[in-house]
Amino acid sequence: MTVFSTITRKVRTQVQNSRVAQVALLAAMWFVGNQISHGLGLPFPGAIVGLGLMLALLLSGWVRPRSVQRGARFLIGEMLLFFVPAVLAVMDHSEWLSITGLKLFAAVLIGTIAVMLGTALAVDLSYRWWVRHAVL
Amino acid sequence: MPSSENLIFGIFWSVVTIGAYLVARTIYGRWHHWALSPLLVAPLVVLAFALAAKVGYAPYIEGTHWLMLALGPATVAFALPIYEHRMMIRRHWPVLVIGVLVGSSIAMLSAWGLAAAFGLSDTLRLSLLPRSMSMPFALIVSGDIGGTPDLTAVFVVLTAVIGVAMGDVLLKWMPVRSSIARGSLFGMGAHGAGVAKASEIGGEEGSIAGLVMILSGVTNVLAAPLLVLILN
Repeated sequence: MTVFSTITRKVRTQVQNSRVAQVALLAAMWFVGNQISHGLGLPFPGAIVGLGLMLALLLSGWVRPRSVQRGARFLIGEMLLFFVPAVLAVMDHSEWLSITGLKLFAAVLIGTIAVMLGTALAVDLSYRWWVRHAVL
Repeated sequence: MPSSENLIFGIFWSVVTIGAYLVARTIYGRWHHWALSPLLVAPLVVLAFALAAKVGYAPYIEGTHWLMLALGPATVAFALPIYEHRMMIRRHWPVLVIGVLVGSSIAMLSAWGLAAAFGLSDTLRLSLLPRSMSMPFALIVSGDIGGTPDLTAVFVVLTAVIGVAMGDVLLKWMPVRSSIARGSLFGMGAHGAGVAKASEIGGEEGSIAGLVMILSGVTNVLAAPLLVLILN
């Protein structure tokens, strides 16, 4: 038992100091999530299952936040690099240099203004209502 | 079997992509302006190279798609901010739920309605629907509902750039008093770039924006099968 806890402690210290090990741990959770998603035929992908598993491990205290912090900050902070390739799809669409492109731009512009106005208004109103009524 | 020629081609374009990303990040670090966002600069630099070398999208993505594999572990990594802000979720959950549901509904309905009003094709319309989600979630939902994930990627980036630019303008003449509403505005409207912007306004705004972005992404992915039923 003491040997076991010594080993866990050593592994934990190693992982808490290594960004690579933490990225590997998060990738492993993704892999496990994929296996579960495929195995059970779930209607959502392994990444989401992995997110749920990781959250469960953190909440249960089995994995300490320090054991994934560096890896998680790296993956989230540099996310743009991982999706730049997909954005290059734009080069196959020279037709967007015409009126279609203008329509797409307008759709995104108007849509985004609507989302921002609507969300801020809904949250602001419900927050004020909640502050007034929920605090007893 | 990939030939060694293909391998060298893949390595070359991966290096170009990573290099463009690092350059874009450095530029933004020096001149902090939304028009110089790495979201725009990084793809444009790669685009310039590809046009100069007369390389099409199909061979380019074949050589570089391995970079996108990291989006899986990055999605798992979102568990950390949720865990770190669990007290905030416990305190504000009713308001966060309302923000996520209202924001996601407006995002989908506006994309659908505007695409119809402008007479855009079905492919474009379906690819536009998930544009207000953070990239990994948007790509999943786009594939689920029959859109083209690559096109969605372009719209997601466009949304982020426009969202950050418009968010400032909107906040100037809109009476938004609570920091939770300001954070929600950026997290829902401009996902990752919006979170960065909200963090510049304040710590609480940044945390709320991050939570709203992640929670709306997860909610939308879980609701995608339902969305498929509605769309059919």
